[in-house]
Amino acid sequence: MQEFDQIEALWAKHTVDVKISADEMLSQAKKEVSTLRNKSMLNIIGMVLSFLAVACLWFFNFQSWTTHLGISIIVLVVAVYTLILYNNHRIIAKNDITANPNQFLNSLKLYQLDRLSLYNKLYWFYTIALSLGMTFFFVEILNHMQIWAQITLIGISLGWMIFCSTLVRKAVIKRDKERIALLIEKFERISAQFNEQV
Amino acid sequence: MSQKDVIFKEIFDKNSKKIFHLCYGYTGDKDAANDLLQETFLKVWQNLDKFRNKSLISTWIYRIAVNTCLTYLRSEKRQAKDELTDNIIENRIEEYSEKNEQVALLYKSISKLEENDRLIITMVLDELPYNEIAEISGISEGNLRVKIHRIKQKLTELYNQHARI
Repeated sequence: MQEFDQIEALWAKHTVDVKISADEMLSQAKKEVSTLRNKSMLNIIGMVLSFLAVACLWFFNFQSWTTHLGISIIVLVVAVYTLILYNNHRIIAKNDITANPNQFLNSLKLYQLDRLSLYNKLYWFYTIALSLGMTFFFVEILNHMQIWAQITLIGISLGWMIFCSTLVRKAVIKRDKERIALLIEKFERISAQFNEQV
Repeated sequence: MSQKDVIFKEIFDKNSKKIFHLCYGYTGDKDAANDLLQETFLKVWQNLDKFRNKSLISTWIYRIAVNTCLTYLRSEKRQAKDELTDNIIENRIEEYSEKNEQVALLYKSISKLEENDRLIITMVLDELPYNEIAEISGISEGNLRVKIHRIKQKLTELYNQHARI
């Protein structure tokens, strides 16, 4: 039978081997930070390029108002999505890892809940707006195409949307929901442990 | 080498062992503890410019480590790995038997405590002053003393239980 002071003595005597050295940690930290920065930069560049590519369609001589409306909707969707990505990035960056654990967990919990509701709503806004934009855009374009090309284009577009709205959507929402539910459950359990009533 | 690099290396050399104890006590698994240690120091590097000397640098690092541990998520994949790791731990304990069985049992006992208690007791064992532990964990010093008393009892109980098996 051991007492706590014996446990303390055992702890004081033990040594651990930290696998990584200060130099390795330094080079890894620098590498990870630049990777994160590059990733974020590439994401923004990708979105800006998509925005420009769709906006360039206005330079073609389209006659119908439906085409212009379609392009406007798609440009708006890409712009809104870019803004939401940027906003999300800012919120994560604002999360203070050095705050006291209770505050930190609470802000993280709120953020996760916001994100879950945002993504659920955002998905439908994104799908509906994009489908609407493409439908308007194709009204004039399809008139200049042969019937087989029309059918192929409509088929591919419809197939892609159905694929995204069923398989991809389900998988993404399921994964996100599970992850967030696990996090929230954990935050609640830990918050209870931080309760001042000991 | 820049001034920031020198400071970071000094911080790592001074604090890495204690932070490893905290992460190892929290997860009960050496590999996971190493991952958490690296994640903690990555955040230290990213936030080093924000450190304003309002508290001790060790307190600041401990807080980052505590928050990193608390948000460590056991996904299904990780849980499967953990089950595997449990077996490895069992085997490791056998390997330890000649060398350091008691230390392995102690880490195992700590990892059976509640999340917050694991973090507090490793800081107590590493002889951090109570006011510093209170500042790191965001609990008032009075309540912390009562809490520590209970955790000590619980840990002793768990350790003796494991030692008997």
